[in-house]
Amino acid sequence: MKSKNLSEKILRSIKSKGFKYINLPSVIEANHIVQRSGESFREFIFSFVDQNGSELCLRPDLTIASSLRYLEKNLNSKEKIFYSGQAYRKSNNKKDSIIRDQVGFEIIGSKDEKNDDKEIIDTALKALSNLSYLKGTLKIGNVEIFNLLISKLDIPKRWKLRLLRHFWREEYFNDLLKRLETNSDVDPTIVEVDKKRYSKMLSEKQQTIIAGRSIQEILKRFDNKIKDPRKASRGKNVSKIIKEFLKINCPIDQAASQLNIFFKKNRISLIVEQNYFPTSLNKIQKLNVEFSTSFGRHLEYYTGMVFKIDIKSKFKNINIINGGRYDKLISNLGSKKKVPAVGAAININYK
Amino acid sequence: MKLMINIGIPSKGRLKKDIIKVFSQNKLHLFSERGKRDLFAFVKKYKDIRIIYLHAREIIERLADGSLDIGFSGYDLLKESNVNIQKKINVIKKYNFGLADLVLAIPSQWIDVQTVADLEEIAFILKEKKNQRIRVATKYPNLTKEFLYSKGVTQFKLVYSLGATEAYPLSGSSEIISDITSTGETLRANNLRILIDGKIISSQACMIVAKKSVKKKNIKKFIKLFPKE
Repeated sequence: MKSKNLSEKILRSIKSKGFKYINLPSVIEANHIVQRSGESFREFIFSFVDQNGSELCLRPDLTIASSLRYLEKNLNSKEKIFYSGQAYRKSNNKKDSIIRDQVGFEIIGSKDEKNDDKEIIDTALKALSNLSYLKGTLKIGNVEIFNLLISKLDIPKRWKLRLLRHFWREEYFNDLLKRLETNSDVDPTIVEVDKKRYSKMLSEKQQTIIAGRSIQEILKRFDNKIKDPRKASRGKNVSKIIKEFLKINCPIDQAASQLNIFFKKNRISLIVEQNYFPTSLNKIQKLNVEFSTSFGRHLEYYTGMVFKIDIKSKFKNINIINGGRYDKLISNLGSKKKVPAVGAAININYK
Repeated sequence: MKLMINIGIPSKGRLKKDIIKVFSQNKLHLFSERGKRDLFAFVKKYKDIRIIYLHAREIIERLADGSLDIGFSGYDLLKESNVNIQKKINVIKKYNFGLADLVLAIPSQWIDVQTVADLEEIAFILKEKKNQRIRVATKYPNLTKEFLYSKGVTQFKLVYSLGATEAYPLSGSSEIISDITSTGETLRANNLRILIDGKIISSQACMIVAKKSVKKKNIKKFIKLFPKE
């Protein structure tokens, strides 16, 4: 977006929805990012060490900077905020710019989740109405439905947790499904050898720590694992159900009915009401509104509703707005209690 | 006047001996003017070749910056080096010596952990219950990080080691390690066990050439002196 006016118009439309403008720091502690996203995220941040030896980095996105602000100011009431500025992130794709201009808006600390989700989408649509485009798509997903499905499946708890943890990493998730179809995480020969060690360890002092874990902890997990094997046939069936679920893609007004048909067919005791979704309109402005079960996997921190808006303008498809619910982000950054949060970011770098 | 070919050979250890052996098998006899401690050597009858003895890791870097034309080093060290370095060099030959695997090893008493998937679960438990990240001691941070991430382990912290990495879990400096091993003996002696699917990379000695030098006539000629294994 080259026009400054357009950018100002977008900011005005967000403000008109009752959001308050805030300024965010450009530099944050790298530890927050690594703590949340793991060591590999280091590759994407611009970090440096200050005179006290603390590792700092340029904000890789504004949502994290905003969540840190909420946390550090010790806020606990509802906030409707918006901000605009640059985020700095390295990319493996040489064509990507390391500086990304972002406009974001969020509702933090409110328990009225369904209405807040709707309000964020409405605000995104209002901001979008400032742009000229030919047509587009509003895609809506919900990570929570996937979580509920997994909780109902007949697989050991450790497998449920594994699948939930890696939903957002598509390639690895597919590897997990392949492994779920076999029984390769328990090797009977090795288990026999380890059982001897198991008996020996039973007689040792249970509180002894071995590389950060007590003998008691190790034996308990060993016990659970051995007593909880899976039949390969059961794993295959579960994998089939998951794969089929992830293929559901339909106009938004059919989301509940398609899901309920799927649940019934696979004897899963779940029912979803259509009003669970933030809208039932298949067409809003020039956008087709779609539901997809697999959508929402691209970012680890989404926990519920997730959406994106793609528009077609001058023969180009542009991903213009992304958003969703991230109820665990602030607690992952250090808050002792769960802080509900939902928001969206507008890409204003498109050309 | 012919241009000088600069060749890097590891300055010590088994790798140095084996590479010098390859030279003599191909009738290339090395000599140093100032005795055994001399870090430079020449090849009899080849006045345009200069040998420089360097640390195996440094050979890779010097190839990338153009101060070496050809180098002998380990495949593990090449893959560990950063992408910009790897772009500037090519592997010409691989040898049947210097064979070793870079592996992920855990304390033997962790009998409930057999695969990397188990490790991922432990890393998660440590993070959720104790707010700690599992520490992995290694001399190979890039390969280790990439491997763990590809296997779904995202919650870990690297501890950079310069040597004797096997001692780290026992001394409390890390929970697990990744290290290079050929027989696994040192790992076992230090009460460590390799995970079933914990092999990160197989390594062997290699002849490596700087891309900038590859087209030079005398370099091509030199490479031809070493037949395929």
